[in-house]
Amino acid sequence: MSRVHAIFRRELGGTLDSPVALVAAMLFVVGLHAGFFFLGFPVGDRRAPGFWEGRTASLQAFFSWLPLFFALLAPALTMGAWAAERRSGTEELLLTHPVRPGEAVLGKFLAAWTLAVALVLLAALPLALVVDRLGPLDWGAVASGVAGAALLAGGCIAIGLCASALAQEELVAFLLSAGLLVLLWSLSLFVRALPPGLAEAAWYASPPVHYLDTVTRGVLDGRDALYHGLLVLLGLYLNIAVVEGRRWR
Amino acid sequence: MIRVEALEKRYGELRAVDGVTFSVERGEVVGFLGPNGAGKSTTMRCLAGYLFPDAGTLAIGGRAVHPEDLETRRAVGYLPESTPLYRRMRVELYLDFVGRIRGLGRSERRAAIARVIGDCGLEGRARQRIGTLSKGYRQRVGLAQALLSDPDVLILDEPTGGLDPAEVTRMRELVRDLGERKTILLSTHVLSEVQETCRRVVILAGGKVVADGTPLDLAAGERAELRVTIEDAGDDAVTELGRVEGVAAARRTGVDDAGRRGVALEVDDRHACARRVGELARAKGWTLVELRHELPSLEQVFLRRTQPAAAVAEEERP
Repeated sequence: MSRVHAIFRRELGGTLDSPVALVAAMLFVVGLHAGFFFLGFPVGDRRAPGFWEGRTASLQAFFSWLPLFFALLAPALTMGAWAAERRSGTEELLLTHPVRPGEAVLGKFLAAWTLAVALVLLAALPLALVVDRLGPLDWGAVASGVAGAALLAGGCIAIGLCASALAQEELVAFLLSAGLLVLLWSLSLFVRALPPGLAEAAWYASPPVHYLDTVTRGVLDGRDALYHGLLVLLGLYLNIAVVEGRRWR
Repeated sequence: MIRVEALEKRYGELRAVDGVTFSVERGEVVGFLGPNGAGKSTTMRCLAGYLFPDAGTLAIGGRAVHPEDLETRRAVGYLPESTPLYRRMRVELYLDFVGRIRGLGRSERRAAIARVIGDCGLEGRARQRIGTLSKGYRQRVGLAQALLSDPDVLILDEPTGGLDPAEVTRMRELVRDLGERKTILLSTHVLSEVQETCRRVVILAGGKVVADGTPLDLAAGERAELRVTIEDAGDDAVTELGRVEGVAAARRTGVDDAGRRGVALEVDDRHACARRVGELARAKGWTLVELRHELPSLEQVFLRRTQPAAAVAEEERP
């Protein structure tokens, strides 16, 4: 566990030190706030008006934006995790230390996930405090929204890490995982419009679906939590397999 | 301490390492030579535990190197070619990170970092970002991370590559000092470095071991060279000398200002040939100014073992 902790610390420090991640973090927070106050959430069947327009004491619009913002944040936080290590050759040195690939993957995952959750809190808390001053905010719904967002972030980060392990370049890793996450997000728009068989497939395939219900109802569903947990496990497993596979080539 | 037996590693169709066998005893410093693409780095990567071989066995300190086994990796300090480091990290923090993943406790880590910073001459650079260091200092950081947990075995892939002469000297001294306490496998393209730092050399070519022994043994195993300098000889002297019994090849090494001709003869039995050359000179009326034999240099051994004969002749032409 101390090795996971060491890698976690290094990754966290490395990301906080990198201008790209800091710009992404800033855009994430500012963009979400702009969306919440002025735009509302204008897409799909869970539309919500902007805060100044709708004047409802709820963070619904904020949470609805998160899956799309994660589709850019998660790739930004994870694109370098393996691609940069491989480009600079540090992956070779890292894996010749007494470290299992699983420990390296877990350390990298936890670092990116911690940052993503911290950014959700950083974005959500000021909003919640403002809204709470202006009207009766349901803090329980906010808490379950944040919990749901944390789970969703886990899946997105795991997908981002896989893309980073597969890609040779950071930009390719970013585009690969952002493309995939936007695709998965857009599936959630079609769930209700698709014929039953396809809708079911889209429902299973799209992580945001398993998150949006949580946000709408204000209740964290155990099955959704399990879904995201399995998605994370699958992502980490694939990540380990890709890193290990390269050593057998 | 290091055992490599029938190691094979393929990259697709290419057999990068093809049945390599050698060993390094405890406390030995062995030079690992070979042209680019000979399989040196691949062999070292397998030994360090980064790549898994397709066939063959590897052992460090009597323990088989296995993908799932972290013990052998603990016993090895590895400096890869081109010294890949986290360039944005500060030297001290990076070494602390390495100490943590190598399982050193807080006080052990602190002591180890102070020790390697002193040993590798990194005083005053500890708080600098690695990316802002010169190539020489980065190489020292690379060596420092390899030494941090005080492993018994060091695998150093071209530690002096790309350094300026002063840094090369400094790195060589470091390796020589380390060689008194550690088992070292050192790859390099600089043959004089091997002669200075290594007791034994293993030469790879085309993924196979083509030579293994002390530089002196390897030189003795090659054909000796008779250097002949004669006066009053015509242009046909080289041809005449080439016809002497027991001479495998003769080549001109030059004519000096006084008109003395130099000829180098490749011979198997240098004493018998020297006598015959003396007899020929007397018969032809040449004045024999010099007749001495020379063992081939490590460069010549290297070229002869790793290149086709034609290429060797080309390289040796003055």
